[in-house]
Amino acid sequence: MSERIQQRNHEREQRLAHVWGNLPGWGALAAVNHTTVGLRFIATGLVFFLVGGLLAMLIRTQLALPEQDIIESALYNQLFTMHGTVMMFLFAIPVLEGLAMYLIPKMIGTRDLVFPRLSALGYFCYLFGGLIVLSSLVLEVAPDAGWFMYTPLSSATYSPGPGSDFWLLGITFVEISAISAGVELVVSILRTRANGMSLNRMPIFCWYILAMALMIVFGFPPLILGSVLLELERAAGFVFFATAGGGDPLLWQHLFWLFGHPEVYIIFLPAAGIVSTLIPVFARHPLVGYRWIVLSIITMGFISFGLWVHHMFTVGIPHLAQAFFSVASMLVAIPTGIQIFAWLATLWYGKVVFRLPMLWILGFLVVFVCGGLTGVMLALAPFNWQVHDTHFVVAHMHYVLVGGMLFPLVAGLYYWLPHVSGRMPSDSLGRWGFWLFFGGFNLTFLLMHLTGLLGMPRRIYTYEAGLGWEWLNLVSSIGGFIMAIGVAVVIVDIVLHFRFGQRAEQNPWGADTLEWAIPMPVNTYNFSSLPEISTRHPMWNAPELVESIAAGEHGLADVQALRRDIYGSDATTGKVREVVHLPTNSWLPLMTALALAVLCISLLVKAYLLAVVFTVMALVLSLRWSWENGAHPRAAPTDDNEPGAPPLHSRTCNGPGLWGMVVSLMADGTFFVSLLFGWFYLWTAAPEWTLPDHSPIQLVPMIFSGLLLTAAVGVFWVLVRGLRRRRATHLGPGMWLVAALGAGHWALLAGQLMSAPLAPTERAHDAVLTVILFYLLLHSGLAVIFTLLQAVRVRLGYTAARLPYEPIVIQPFWFYTLGVYWLSLLAFLLLPNAWSVG
Amino acid sequence: MKFSPFHPIHLVLGLVIWAAWFVFLYGGLSVGCAIAPPASEEQAGTWINGAIVAIALLVGGYLLWCAYRCMHASSDPKLQKDDRLKVFISKTAAAVYLVSAFASLALAVPGLVLPPCV
Repeated sequence: MSERIQQRNHEREQRLAHVWGNLPGWGALAAVNHTTVGLRFIATGLVFFLVGGLLAMLIRTQLALPEQDIIESALYNQLFTMHGTVMMFLFAIPVLEGLAMYLIPKMIGTRDLVFPRLSALGYFCYLFGGLIVLSSLVLEVAPDAGWFMYTPLSSATYSPGPGSDFWLLGITFVEISAISAGVELVVSILRTRANGMSLNRMPIFCWYILAMALMIVFGFPPLILGSVLLELERAAGFVFFATAGGGDPLLWQHLFWLFGHPEVYIIFLPAAGIVSTLIPVFARHPLVGYRWIVLSIITMGFISFGLWVHHMFTVGIPHLAQAFFSVASMLVAIPTGIQIFAWLATLWYGKVVFRLPMLWILGFLVVFVCGGLTGVMLALAPFNWQVHDTHFVVAHMHYVLVGGMLFPLVAGLYYWLPHVSGRMPSDSLGRWGFWLFFGGFNLTFLLMHLTGLLGMPRRIYTYEAGLGWEWLNLVSSIGGFIMAIGVAVVIVDIVLHFRFGQRAEQNPWGADTLEWAIPMPVNTYNFSSLPEISTRHPMWNAPELVESIAAGEHGLADVQALRRDIYGSDATTGKVREVVHLPTNSWLPLMTALALAVLCISLLVKAYLLAVVFTVMALVLSLRWSWENGAHPRAAPTDDNEPGAPPLHSRTCNGPGLWGMVVSLMADGTFFVSLLFGWFYLWTAAPEWTLPDHSPIQLVPMIFSGLLLTAAVGVFWVLVRGLRRRRATHLGPGMWLVAALGAGHWALLAGQLMSAPLAPTERAHDAVLTVILFYLLLHSGLAVIFTLLQAVRVRLGYTAARLPYEPIVIQPFWFYTLGVYWLSLLAFLLLPNAWSVG
Repeated sequence: MKFSPFHPIHLVLGLVIWAAWFVFLYGGLSVGCAIAPPASEEQAGTWINGAIVAIALLVGGYLLWCAYRCMHASSDPKLQKDDRLKVFISKTAAAVYLVSAFASLALAVPGLVLPPCV
C-alpha cells in the first residue's frame, strides 16, 4: 500500500519536475525559473565583487606609502570610479536582488515569482550592462569622474572621452534590471503568498524585501532620468546641466542623490532582513517586537527619501533647507535603533547558539553600529562641512555599507548554502575567514576616520610625506590585504564545501521559515504541494509540513494541462483567490536583452541608425512576449477553469498583471515627477534660465490633441466597464475606435514636435520641452499599439466577455497617459505662458 | 480618514502625508524665497517661518487624530480572537501615524530659529 503511494508520489513529482524544469544544455539560457535566475544573479554579483575588490587592492597599494607612482593619477581616477560603480551597481544591489528572488517564493510558500520572464530579462540586462561597464576598463577608457558622475566634471567639456558614456548607458541598462526585479518582488509578495499567510504571518524577511522593492521602484527613476539627460547633453548637445543656456550642474546632484541616498537603504534593508531572520533562529526565540520592526521598515522606507540633500550640504543651499534634511537624517536613526534593540532583546531572551552565520551577524552588529554613529555625526551640518570630502567620509561609508550589507550577506550565504548544495560549510575555515575579514576591515577603516580628521582628502592619488598620514595609510593598506585574505578563505570554504562538505540534514539550523520545508538540494518547483499557513513560524509550530507537503496533501499537488501553476492570493489576508498560470522556459528574455545590449553599444559608438533598428527590434520582441499571455493557448491550453478549483487568473478582473502594471506605472510616474522637479528646479534656481517670450509649442493643436486622447480613454473606459460586467458588446470595433482616436492624438502631437521651432541645444527650456514631448509620444504610441493588439486578440477570441483580463491590465496605462498629458500641458505650457503674461 | 481603520492603506498613509509635507516644505521654501524673500534682518520672524510652523501644527494635529482613530479601533471589544490581522494592521497603522506626526512636527522645529532664505 505504502509502496503504491510512494510510487504515485514519485510519478507526480516527476511530472512536476518535467513541467518546471529547465531545458538541457544551451537551453538553460532560456530558463526563467526563480531558483536558477536568483542563483545566477548571486554568482554574477560575487564575480563583480571580486573585480571591485581587486580595484580596491590597487588603490590601497598606491596609497600605502607617500609619493608613490605605481599608478598614475588618470588611471587612479578610473580605479576609484570603477571601484564605487562596480560595488554599488554591479555587486551590492544585484546580489541582494538575487537572494530575494531565490528566497521569496520559497518563504511565501509558492513555486516561482509571478513574472518569471521578467526575472530572466532582468538578469541578462544586468549581465550585459555590467560587461559593457567593465569593458571600459579593458579598453582603457573607463569613467573617471567618480561613481556619482558629478557635472560638469562628467560633461563633454571635461570628460571628452567615452568613459562617462559607458557609465551612463551601462548603468541605465543595469537599472532596467533593478526595476524589473522591484516590480516582480512587490507583486509576488503581495499577491502570491501561501493560503492563509496574512500580512501579520508574513516572514519578516518578506517585509524587508517588500520595502526594498518599492524603494527600487521609486528610487531608481530619478537616476535613470539624470543619466538620459546627461547622455543627451553629451551626445546631442542638449542643455540641462551647463549653466550657459539655462541649465544647472546642481540638478544632476539632486537627481543623483534622490536615487543615491535611498540606495543606501535599498542595500541595508534586505541585509537587515537577513539579520532579523537569522537572529531568532540562532537565539532559538521568536523575533522580539515583530510589529515594531515592521513599523521601522515602513518608516525607514519613507524617511530615507528625505535625506538626499545631506550629500549636498556644501553646495550653497539655504540654512533652513539644510536643517530640514539634517532633522530627517537624524530621524532615520530612530527606526534603525528600534531594530537594533529588537535584535538585542531577541538575543537576550533566547539561548544563543554560536554557529558560523551567527559570527558574521555579531560582526555586523559591531561594525554597523559604529557606522551608524558616525552617520549621525555627519548629519550635523557644521561637522559635515569640516570633514566633507575627506577620508572620514570614506571610512563612515564603508562601515555602513560593508557593516550593513556585506557582513549580513556572508551570514546569509553561509546560512542558506546547505539549501542550495545540500552540504554544510566548514566551521573552522569559516571562522578563519571571519576573523581575518573582521580584523582586516577594522584595521583598514577604523584608522581611516583618523586619517580623514587629520585632513586627508578623498580621491587623491598620492600625498606628500610629513603630513602625519603615512603610518595610518600604511596600516590601512595592510588591513586591506588581510581583509582580502579573509575573502579568499571564505571563497575557498564555499568552493570546497560543494565537494567535501558534510551532507546537511533537513532544516539543519532549526529554522522557522517555510523555505526549509522543501527538499535539499533545492528542486525547480520548490513545493510538491502548496501548503496552507496558520502561523508565523510554520517550521517550529507545524514541522510535519515537510512530510505532508512532500506527500502532496496540499494545494496544486498535480500538474494540470502541463501548466506551471501557483496560487494567487489576497494581498492582506493571503486567502487564495485564483490559480496563476506562469510562462515556461523562453528565449525571448535573452533575445530582448541582446537587442537592448546592441542598442546600448550602438549609442556608445554613435551608430544611431543601428540604434533605431535595435530599438524597433527590442519593441517587437517585447510585443511578441506579451502576445503569449492571458488566454493565448500557449499560456493557458485549457479553455475553462477546473471544477472546484479557483479560477485561472487570465479569466479574472484583478489578476497579478494589473498589479504589475500599476507598480510599473509608479516607477514611470516617478520618472515623470523627477522631470517635473527638474523643470521647476531649473526655472527657479538656474542662474541663466530664461523663458521665451512666446512658447515654441502651439497651444490650440495641443488642446485638440488632448481632447482626442481624452475621447480614446473614455471609449476604452466604457469597454472595460462592460467587460467587468462580463459584457463585450462592440468590443472589437470599440478597440479599433480607441486605437484610431489615439493615433489621431499621436499624429497631432508628433506634428507639433516636428514643426515647433525648438532649440534644445541652445536653451534648457527647449531641451526639457523636447524631452517631455518625446515622453508623451512614447506613451501615446505604446497605448495605441497595445490597443491594436487587443483588437486583433478580440478577433482571435483571446479577449472576450469571459476573458476580460488583458484590457483591464492595459486600462491604467491609458489613464496614466491621459494624466501625464494634461499635467504636462499645465506645467510645461500653460504655467510658463501665464507667468510670461503676468 | 475615509477607509476603515483596518484597511492596510493606513500602514503607509501617514508617511505618505509626511512625504507630501516634506516636498511642500522644501519646494515651498524655494518658491517663497524666489517670489517674496523676507529681509534677512527679520531672522526667524518672517511670514515663511510662520507659515511653516502653522502648517506643521495642522499636519501634525491631523496625523495625531488619525493615530487616535486607529488605536481606538484596535481596542474595540467587538473584535474577535481571530481578528488578529485587523488588530495588527490598526495598531501598526496607529504607530505609523504617530511617527509621521512626530516627524512632521520635527521638520518644522528649525523654522523656529533659522531665517528662511539665508
